[in-house]
Amino acid sequence: MTMPSARSKGSLPLQINQGSATHRSLQGLGLAVLVGLAFMGSMTNSFQVGLLTQALIYASAIAGLNLVTGYTGMLSIGHSAFFGIGAYTTGILVSEHNWNPLLTFIVSFLICFVFGLIVGLPALRIRGINLALVTLALAVAFPELIDRFPGLTGGTLGLNVNLTQLLPPHWTGIGIQNRFEYYYWIAAVVLALVLVLCSNLTRGRTGLAMRATRDRETAATAVGINLAWIKVYTFGISAAITGVAGSAFAMYLGSLSADSSFTLILSITLITGLVIGGVATVVGPIVGGLAVIYIPHWTEGLRQGQTEGLFFGTILIILMFVMPDGLMGLLKRMSRFVVQIKPRAPEGPSAASEELLVGSDLNANPDSEGKGDTTLALS
Amino acid sequence: MQVFLEYLFAGISNGAIYAALALAIVMVFRGTGTINFAQGEMALFTTYIAWGLTTKNVPVVLCLLVATAAGFVLGAVTERVFIRPIERKSLLATLIVLLGLFLALNSLDGILWGNQNYTMPSLFPNSVSSFVSVGGARLYWANLGLWIVVAVLVGAMFQLFNHTRLGLHMRATASNRESAALSGIPVGRILMLGWGFSAAVGAIAGILFTPLSPDALGLGEMFPILIQASAAALFGGLDSPGGAVAAGLLMGIVEALLSGYVPAIGGQLQEAIAFVAIVLVLLVRPQGLFGSKEVERV
Amino acid sequence: MSLLEITDLRGGYGPSMVLHGISLTVNEGEIVVVLGANGAGKTTTMRAIAGLISRKGAISLDGLSIIGMNPDKVVGAGISLVPQGRGTFAKLSVEDNLLVGAAKRRDRAGIKEDLERWYEVFPRLAERKKQPAGTLSGGEQQMLAIARALMNRPRLLLCDEPSLGLAPIVVREVFSLLTRINAEQTMAMLIVEQNAELALEIASRAYLLEVGNVVSEGTAASLRNSDAVRRAYLGY
Repeated sequence: MTMPSARSKGSLPLQINQGSATHRSLQGLGLAVLVGLAFMGSMTNSFQVGLLTQALIYASAIAGLNLVTGYTGMLSIGHSAFFGIGAYTTGILVSEHNWNPLLTFIVSFLICFVFGLIVGLPALRIRGINLALVTLALAVAFPELIDRFPGLTGGTLGLNVNLTQLLPPHWTGIGIQNRFEYYYWIAAVVLALVLVLCSNLTRGRTGLAMRATRDRETAATAVGINLAWIKVYTFGISAAITGVAGSAFAMYLGSLSADSSFTLILSITLITGLVIGGVATVVGPIVGGLAVIYIPHWTEGLRQGQTEGLFFGTILIILMFVMPDGLMGLLKRMSRFVVQIKPRAPEGPSAASEELLVGSDLNANPDSEGKGDTTLALS
Repeated sequence: MQVFLEYLFAGISNGAIYAALALAIVMVFRGTGTINFAQGEMALFTTYIAWGLTTKNVPVVLCLLVATAAGFVLGAVTERVFIRPIERKSLLATLIVLLGLFLALNSLDGILWGNQNYTMPSLFPNSVSSFVSVGGARLYWANLGLWIVVAVLVGAMFQLFNHTRLGLHMRATASNRESAALSGIPVGRILMLGWGFSAAVGAIAGILFTPLSPDALGLGEMFPILIQASAAALFGGLDSPGGAVAAGLLMGIVEALLSGYVPAIGGQLQEAIAFVAIVLVLLVRPQGLFGSKEVERV
Repeated sequence: MSLLEITDLRGGYGPSMVLHGISLTVNEGEIVVVLGANGAGKTTTMRAIAGLISRKGAISLDGLSIIGMNPDKVVGAGISLVPQGRGTFAKLSVEDNLLVGAAKRRDRAGIKEDLERWYEVFPRLAERKKQPAGTLSGGEQQMLAIARALMNRPRLLLCDEPSLGLAPIVVREVFSLLTRINAEQTMAMLIVEQNAELALEIASRAYLLEVGNVVSEGTAASLRNSDAVRRAYLGY
């Protein structure tokens, strides 16, 4: 273990070696703060707990979207459908087949993984705008399909899960009147698992391949990464994560209606959250989830009919212009003036080449001239 | 026969608006290389403007003209203000901005005109008795008028593309933007005009189509049409105006006949069918029926 | 005063600078050639003159400053660039390609006259005028690109690597056509060329670029005899 090697003691930015004791303890501190915040959140009143729960669920869904859109650069407007598939999987298994709700999360993960693979399949042949169009059509088709099979999904009437099937188990010690606290913790644990999974995925070779796909496909092909595979796989895992978020949503809400909860608007909301929080960052989705739930809540006073949509639409446009890497991107840049984490000496070729690619974001387009190159940024 | 003709007439009317919007999509795509997700919402916005004017007792023809001009300005301003500065960053950023525009425009409609649906007055006689009988089937003037105006509009656009100096410059810009600039074409202005014309075409289509059924003007009217039109544009080839128009028309007719004769897959499942069509076209023939191979690289 | 005067031209792509203060001149009716290795900044110089990239310094054509102009305004001022790779409008017909070249002109009669003139000079384009330009051979596309630039009636023609990817015999043809046009129209030309020997044959003066700087300049004959140019570009 090396000691922090400050260039000159006391002057900013502090330089800290990656993996050093100081770095580890800083990370530990951050984690402790998060856990502390999570406990504080659970102790607010039940209305606040409800809002927070939704924010955490959306954060998980956005984290899933982040894999496809943030890290891999494929715009998905279809994640509302994956969220919905997850939610309906849980809803149907619990209400029709008396499953334990928590077990359905695994089924949701698997089913959405398969659906994600299927939707990702066209990515083998098409890219950019066409892929975005496929996902757009999926988002539009999903509520229609749900309404079309009322026997399974409840159709336009919706699907209601009996409350008794969603109550906290005895060992939690949470009573029926505090059941939202239980959902809150489920959402928090799901989010924690999702973030761990995402941060592991995006760090290793897979993450390198994702970024390479986004930034320059030709370059990625040159280093021998199987792009076809990585695109389809990313779509699958991303859909699976968003699907599990949908499961948590089904538990929290207890009643599902495709026409109100799982439309294109949800997809746009998730994209908005992603852009606000910051694409291709691990913590960005949390910020995004909080933002898309709390901003409409705080502006409720101003709200008349459609103000929320106008607000989010406008914010989406403005952010792309002035802050395309979102709040976390901004924080990252600002924090560099205070603390710099020095990466470990590269151990393998992947670590070295990853460094080259990390700095890029949505605007990662080295060539601002030709149209042909511009389109590469979206694969 | 009579039933078949009635399905056919409905199909041609739907097809005409798909064709017009598909043409609008292709015009933007050829210039900018993106699908304008907000294309339908622009058309809806201008249709609301026209409807708003009719409530002030302005003649429908005048409303049409004003709304078309408004559409032109809306399209041109969108290109200049929102698209041009962002498109050089990345396609992803451009698409996200267009999604934002989609959401903002739709919500703005809701704020300005409310959630309820309205009936748009027609440019043509539109009472229950204003039809001609064709083979026993009723062909309403409003339908016929829509066909004629869309046909003229499409014809005028093709004339513009293929037989005018401006059209030549638009085609050159679509083919190779840098070369166009090096030949002295003001590329920015050409793109702006392309977006303007595209939104104007959408505006006219929306104003003619909406009166065909009562209470059709609502916040959700244009989006399904945009999906169908996008599918048509893909089907015909995103860079082929002729292909887009043909595919749009074909799609309207097939859809009407299907939902008429095979109720199980028609009706409510229209967007799902469009989705399947889009995926199939993209998998089997990514450049569409009439498009050129180059589109695939995008 | 020279026709084209460039003083201390700096520019590049985004934050990376390629040109570090280039100065050069082209006189009325003169052919000037710019030599240099790959990455010396030849193409960037051309693109900077044409207004395709952001640039600083001074560029003037016949006393008129064109430094802040967009590409289409530069064309209007009387400079046409035949870009590297020819920039063909592949789906447009040969004739449409030529008509696009006249984008800045309004004189219908003059445009028609010029069409006929260039069809005469480039007879193979006349044979293929209705054909999509993408179907032309490399040499034909190069001729088309030159003819397209000429349709603007430029006072100065910029040619970026006109020999690129062409068979030696076609390269000869292109260069002899350039010489002919220069003589007949007294049109000034600034040519970037890898094939130094050929370029120095038709040029009256030459500049040698290295990493974004002019390292040598003079008459074509004097550069031909300079050791640096001979060793690096002529191979003897």
